[in-house]
Amino acid sequence: MTKELTPKNKLTVRPYEDRPVGCPPASDPAAMTKEEKEAHRDTVERLKELVEKAGKGDKNPLPEIRKILKESPELAWQIMDFAKYTESHHIKMMVKEEDPGLKEVLKAQLAFMREEIAGDNPSPLERLLAERIVLTWLQIQLFEDLYASSMPKSMTFAQGNYKQKMIDQAHRRYLSAIRTLAQIRKLGPAVQINIAEQQINTAG
Amino acid sequence: MSPWERRKRGGRYYTRSRKVNGRVVREYVGGGALGELAARMDAQERQRREEEAAAWREERECLEELAGLVDEFCEAVETVARATLLAAGFRQHKRGEWRRRRDQGTNTKE
Repeated sequence: MTKELTPKNKLTVRPYEDRPVGCPPASDPAAMTKEEKEAHRDTVERLKELVEKAGKGDKNPLPEIRKILKESPELAWQIMDFAKYTESHHIKMMVKEEDPGLKEVLKAQLAFMREEIAGDNPSPLERLLAERIVLTWLQIQLFEDLYASSMPKSMTFAQGNYKQKMIDQAHRRYLSAIRTLAQIRKLGPAVQINIAEQQINTAG
Repeated sequence: MSPWERRKRGGRYYTRSRKVNGRVVREYVGGGALGELAARMDAQERQRREEEAAAWREERECLEELAGLVDEFCEAVETVARATLLAAGFRQHKRGEWRRRRDQGTNTKE
């Protein structure tokens, strides 16, 4: 086991922050240029292709997967920025403009949930997965809220069905997010090598 | 087709058309003030339905957009997580549990 793989212990515990020192600066997905967005999507798409191939038992894509993970330390953070952007859209829809206090309370609650789920000294992968759990949870709250608020009004059968379907999909995403984090945690620190190393690299 | 029917004697008669078992059935409401009143009520009802449909369309587009954003994010996270697992020397057993590949030692670097 290398030094970077040292399991979490009380001495190395660092409080959860949205973006630890040394990580690439936060980017605003809304302010990203079309080329930047495409480049980011291309990287994820390429990674997806390779993962699909490797998932079928082909070992050839593995070196390229490792190369992408190693050479794109900003990837996890860009995805995280995208989550923040998506989260703000949800909050905007949930809370009216004239209630900024409630907006802040909700943001604080989400931050607290992220911190609690990610745990002490989380790797970027754990942060990503915690982010995913919180975002999918938020979506369920929004969809259920919209469904409940339209109950007293006249809602057609098709509309009710549609909203119920959206809630079901959100639930599936949420459960899938929890499952993935549980899998990663079950497998232990070994799977955190790639991204965690990048975190160290970027910090150094 | 206009809901107003012109009669041979010169008057106008307000009618409503609706579908019953796939066939268009015309309901004769009345002429004069009664016809005018029915026409106005129908117009208001039509406008209410159009507004409701527009609001529903807008809400639906918004929901689709949000679901699309979360889908894109979830897919990206899942891809990175899987890539990390594969790179660390794991394989997924029958789309379920992740296990360490037999040919893979504890050293995951190549």
